[in-house]
Amino acid sequence: MMTEVGQPRPKSFYVLGFFFLLFLAFLYGPMIVIFILSFQGPDGGMSFPMVGRSTLWFQQLLSGTGRIGDIPSAFVRSLEMALVAAALTAAICVSAGMAFRRRFRGSGLLFYTAVSSLVMPSLFVGFGIALGFKELGWKTSLFTSGLGAQLTWTLPFGLMITFATIGRFDRRYEEAATDLGASSWQRFRDVILPIILPGVIGVALFGFTLSYDEFARSSLTVGTANTLPLEIWAMTTAATSPVLFALGTVTTVVSFCVLTAALVTIGVIMRRRAGSGRPATS
Amino acid sequence: MSLAARLEQTAKTGAPIAFRTKRPWPGAIVSWLQAAPLALVLLLMFVAPLAFVVVVSFFDYGRVDIYPAFMLDNYVEVFTSEVTGRLYLKTLEYAALVEAITLVLGFFVAYYLTFHVRTLRWRIVLLLACSIPFFTSNVIRMISWIPFLGREGILNDAVMATHLVSQPLDFLLFSDFAVVVAYVHIFTLMMVAPVVNSMAKIDRGLIAAARDAGATEGQIVRDIIIPLSKTGIALGSVLVLTQVMGDYYIVRMLSGGKSAGVVTGIATQLNAFEYPPAAASSVVLLIVVITLVVGIFSLVDVRKELAA
Amino acid sequence: MNARHPINTPATPLAQAAAAPSRYDVELVAVSKSYAGAAAVETISLRIPKASYCCLLGPSGCGKSTTLRMIAGHEQVSAGDILIGDRNVTDAPPAARGTSMMFQNYALFPHMTAVDNVAYSLKVRGVAKVERRARAREFLDLVRMSSFAERLPAQMSGGQQQRVALARALITRPQVLLLDEPLSALDPFLREHMRGELKRLQRELGISFVHVTHSQEEAMALADMVVVMEAGHIRQTGSAREIFEKPNTAFVARFIGGHNVIATPGGQVAVRADRCRLGSAGSLTSLSGHAANIEYLGPMVRVSVATDNGLDAAALIPDELFFTAPVDIGHAVTLIWSERDAHALSD
Repeated sequence: MMTEVGQPRPKSFYVLGFFFLLFLAFLYGPMIVIFILSFQGPDGGMSFPMVGRSTLWFQQLLSGTGRIGDIPSAFVRSLEMALVAAALTAAICVSAGMAFRRRFRGSGLLFYTAVSSLVMPSLFVGFGIALGFKELGWKTSLFTSGLGAQLTWTLPFGLMITFATIGRFDRRYEEAATDLGASSWQRFRDVILPIILPGVIGVALFGFTLSYDEFARSSLTVGTANTLPLEIWAMTTAATSPVLFALGTVTTVVSFCVLTAALVTIGVIMRRRAGSGRPATS
Repeated sequence: MSLAARLEQTAKTGAPIAFRTKRPWPGAIVSWLQAAPLALVLLLMFVAPLAFVVVVSFFDYGRVDIYPAFMLDNYVEVFTSEVTGRLYLKTLEYAALVEAITLVLGFFVAYYLTFHVRTLRWRIVLLLACSIPFFTSNVIRMISWIPFLGREGILNDAVMATHLVSQPLDFLLFSDFAVVVAYVHIFTLMMVAPVVNSMAKIDRGLIAAARDAGATEGQIVRDIIIPLSKTGIALGSVLVLTQVMGDYYIVRMLSGGKSAGVVTGIATQLNAFEYPPAAASSVVLLIVVITLVVGIFSLVDVRKELAA
Repeated sequence: MNARHPINTPATPLAQAAAAPSRYDVELVAVSKSYAGAAAVETISLRIPKASYCCLLGPSGCGKSTTLRMIAGHEQVSAGDILIGDRNVTDAPPAARGTSMMFQNYALFPHMTAVDNVAYSLKVRGVAKVERRARAREFLDLVRMSSFAERLPAQMSGGQQQRVALARALITRPQVLLLDEPLSALDPFLREHMRGELKRLQRELGISFVHVTHSQEEAMALADMVVVMEAGHIRQTGSAREIFEKPNTAFVARFIGGHNVIATPGGQVAVRADRCRLGSAGSLTSLSGHAANIEYLGPMVRVSVATDNGLDAAALIPDELFFTAPVDIGHAVTLIWSERDAHALSD
C-alpha cells in the first residue's frame, strides 16, 4: 500500500507481485506452448515432445493441403471485414459520443440498448438476424448480415472507449475555439478530433480486433463465405495435426502486428504532444 | 468569409464582428443526427432481430418451415422439459464459479497495478501485458489449453514427473475443470479493466488519510477501496456473467461435448431447424440475463462511471 | 472552550509522562530526503516549541511539503531523525506518531457521511459504533459542523468540508496537527475567516500546528514561528516580526515581501519599502530613477521605482504624505532612506 517513491515496499507488495506473475504465466503460458508446437517436426503430434523442428505446418496452411479449408481467402475476407468494421466503428462511435455529451430525448434508451447488445448471448444475435433475413427472403452475406452482426459487438465496446476519451476532453478548448469564431464543424475538425485522436485510434483498434476474432455472432450470418475464425472453429473438429497451431500462431502474430501499429501510433502522437507542450525552460 | 476579411469589414463599418450569421441548430436535433447511425445499426441489427425472435417464439413449426401462430406450446415445452432445469443449473454453476474466481483474481490484479505499482510507466506496461491476450483470437486461446491439459499434456507430464500419481490425470481436459479454466483465462480481463478504471479514480489522498487514521492495509481495502470500486466490480461482473451465460463454444470445445449449458440446448434446437422452440428458449434465457443485469446495475450508476 | 471536551487535556496515548518532558513538540535532527539521488530536503534541523503555531513558508518546490510529509510519516527520511515530544518516531508508521494530517484537498472519504469520516480512526481501532459516533459528534461540534453530521462530502461546500477534515484530524488527539496548504482552495473571504478559526483551535487545544503555505501574508498572520525554506534548506527561522524586521538573506527579504534589496559597497542591504520615501538626497542615502508604476492601496500608495543603475525598488508611502507631493508614472524620482533602516544581509 501507499505508493510513494522512497518508501520501503510492504510485504504485501511481494506477495501480490508473485501472484501477478503467476497470473501473467497463466495468460501467456498456453499461447507460448502453441507457438512452440506449431514448429513441430513432420512426425510430431499435437503435444510435446517436439519431434524435430520444421515449418511444414505453415507450408500446409498456405497450400491448403491436409484436410483444411481455403485459409488464405478466409484470411483476406477477415482482414477486409475487420478494416471496414474498424472504420465504421470509429466513425459511428465518435459521432454518437459527441451526441451523448448532452442529454437528449432517448439518450438513456439508446445507451441501454447498446449495453444490452454487449451483454446479449452472441448466438441469439446471430440467430435473430439470420431468422429475420430468412423470413424476409434475403440472403445472408458477409458484408450485409455478417457486418451488421459484428457491429452489434464492436459498437458497444467502441462506445465505452469513446465515452472515456470524450469524458476527459476539456471543454474549454472548444469554448476557446467558439470564441475565436470557429463553426461547429471547424471546432470538431480543428480542435476536438486532433485532441481525442489517440482515443479514436483505440476505438478503431477495438473495432478491428473484435471483428477479426469474432465468430459467435458471425457463424449464422456470414452466408457461404467463412471468415478466418469460423474456418479455425471448423478445423478444431477436423484437424488432428499441428497445422491448427500453425494457424493459431499466424493469426496471433497478425493481431500483435495490428496492436503494435496502433500503440506505436498512439505513442508517437502522445510523445509529440508532450514534447511540443513542454514549456520552454530558462 | 475569412476572419481577416471580417476584421477588415469591422474596421470599415465599426460594427462588431458577426461570427455567427444564423442561429445554431437546437442541441437536441444535432444530438439526434449524431446518434442516428448508432441508433440505426442497433435498431436494424439488434432490436429488430430480437423482436423477430420474440415473435417467432409464439409460432408453430413443421419439419421444414415455421408457421405464424400465437401459441404458448413452445414456452410450455421450455418450462416442462426436465432438460431445461439441468442446463440452467449447469450454466449457473459455471457462472457462479467463474464470477467468484475472476472477481478475486481481477480485484487483486487491479489492486496490485493501481496501488502497488508506483510509476505510471510500469502501470501502463503491466496493464498492457494483461490486455494483449484480449486482442487475440478467442478460438486460439481455447485451443491453446489442449496441449496443456491433455493426457499427454504439459501439466500431466509435470505431475507424472513428481511420481505422485502413476496414471495421467483424466479430469484435466474435456471436463468441467477445463471449461472453467478456459472461461477464467478468456474473461478475467473483462473484470480487470473496469475495476482498474474505478480504482484509478480513487484519490491517493484518501489512502494516506486512512493510513493516518491508523487503518491497516486490509482495513483500507475493506473500507475505502472496495466501496469506491464497486461500480467497476459491478460492470466487470455483468460482463463476465453474461459472457459465461451466453457461451456455447467454450463449453463445447473444452468439455469435449460432455457438458452443456443453456445455449448449447438452443444450438441443438437450431441445428434441428426447430426455430420456434429455440426462440422460446432464447427469450427465457434473455429474461433471466436481463433480470440479472438490471439487478446488478440497480446497485450502481453505470452511466456515471463510464462518462466520468 | 467547553470543558466537557475531552481534548482539553492533550494527553496523547503516545506521549508518556516523562520526568522531564521535552520543551519541544517536534524536533528535526539533520533530516535529509533525496529521490533517486536528487536532494529534495538537505540536512535540515528544526525545533518547534510546545503548543506553537509554526508555518513552513517557501516557494513551490522548496521542500516544505516534503518536510511536512516526513513529519507525518507519509514519506521516509533518507537520513536524520524526527522526534515528536520525547519519542524518536523516525521509523514509526503515521498513525503511531502522535501526529495527524489535514490534507490539501481534504481527502474526505466520498462514500462516508461527515460523522463517519470523523469516526473512521476510532472504527479502525475497534471502538463500538455508538461510542465512536458520539465522540465524532463532539468533534464536529468543536468545528461547528454538528448540523452537517449526516451529509456526504459532495453535499458540503469547500469550507464545510475543510471543517470536517479538521475534526477528522483532531479526533485522534494528536500532539501535532499537520496542515498542507489548508487555505489554498478557499476563496479570499473564507480564507481569512478560516485563518482565525485555525488560530482559535490551536490556542484552545494547546497543541502544535505545523502549517505549510506559500503565502507570506498567511504565515505572518498565523505563526508564532515562521520557517522560511528555499531549495531544500531552511533559510531563516523566527517569529514573524523577527523575520520581517531582520531578514538575513536577500532571498528571505524578497520572499517575505515589502523590502528593497540594494547592493552597497559594504554588501547587500535590505530596506523596508515603508521606510523609504521620495525626495531629494541630502543627508539620507538615496537612489535616483523614475516611477515605473503607482498603485493606490488605500492607506498607502506604492510607488515602484526603476533606478538608474537597473534595480527595481519600491516605496510604500502613507496616502496623505503621497498626495502632498504626488508624482506620475515616468517622472524622475529619488528614493531616500535613513542609514539606520538599512539592514545588512549575509551573502
